[in-house]
Amino acid sequence: MPKKLTISQLNKIGERLRKGSESEEDLRLLDEFRLSFGPAYQQTFDVLNALGLKTGGREGKTTESIRAKLVREGTRLSKMQDIAGCRVEVDHLIQQDLVVSDLKARWPQARIYDRRVTPSSGYRAVHLVVEVDGHLVEIQVRTSLQHIWASTTEKLSDVLDSQIKYGGGPEILRKHLQVFSDAIAEFESIEKEYSEVLGQISEPEGGRLQQISAKLDAQKLRLKSLCEKLIMTVQ
Amino acid sequence: MIYLIRYDRKAGKVVTLKRFHSSDRACAQRERLTIELEFHKSGVPCEVVLLEAADDQTLERMHQRYFKSPRELVESLA
Repeated sequence: MPKKLTISQLNKIGERLRKGSESEEDLRLLDEFRLSFGPAYQQTFDVLNALGLKTGGREGKTTESIRAKLVREGTRLSKMQDIAGCRVEVDHLIQQDLVVSDLKARWPQARIYDRRVTPSSGYRAVHLVVEVDGHLVEIQVRTSLQHIWASTTEKLSDVLDSQIKYGGGPEILRKHLQVFSDAIAEFESIEKEYSEVLGQISEPEGGRLQQISAKLDAQKLRLKSLCEKLIMTVQ
Repeated sequence: MIYLIRYDRKAGKVVTLKRFHSSDRACAQRERLTIELEFHKSGVPCEVVLLEAADDQTLERMHQRYFKSPRELVESLA
């Protein structure tokens, strides 16, 4: 935190942001607060890149996103865990588990939020909150399908209704997104099973693999059909 | 590479995008704040963000919400 800014002052800025009554000075101080995460963010981003991961970063949450979170969750600005964030995209569940495990080894004190187990309005991913030099940095680890689902939901929230990504908005769209999220979870689970069986057998075990492969193909078709329905709904 | 992006949420479109080398981070940060303050003064809502990625392709992949239409995103789900 910037030296001249106390927690109480920071939370007061948060209050004014929540009410939409912030001054130019508030925005300057908010920016100082945001920039105070810079070194921790850069260190985290560099570690992820050094691990060879496909990484994106955002060293400071935008003022509008901070405001929206303050309004939505009634949280205090000083308590926000995701001012600085990095995102990693991996191919599938097995790789996701491996990456999370690597990151846990790198940051043993990291707080883990496994939103595959407890999805948040259909959002699935694994989030780690790591502490670097006294600052929190959130790392989102998403599979490709989880990432596309999340990006779609964020985009629909931008252009249609900001509540969509929090489980609100038009009911039909909400239902489609939920069904889609469930279908992706099922697809990824079958895909994982397939890879595990493939890795376990020493000789081609045709029957079981064929069965799982057929399930995988069926789920692919289902995803395609759900996608077409979602496109029609969005239009 | 650091990217300074002004994004129109309602329209779902990137309005401006400026690239900075990682060594020019402080310059990008100053410019971000300047834009935000200008818009604050004019009372026009504005989202201005600094993103980071190895290159343009990774940026567009990792932050695809900024760059793709809802239809393009939904289609890529299938």
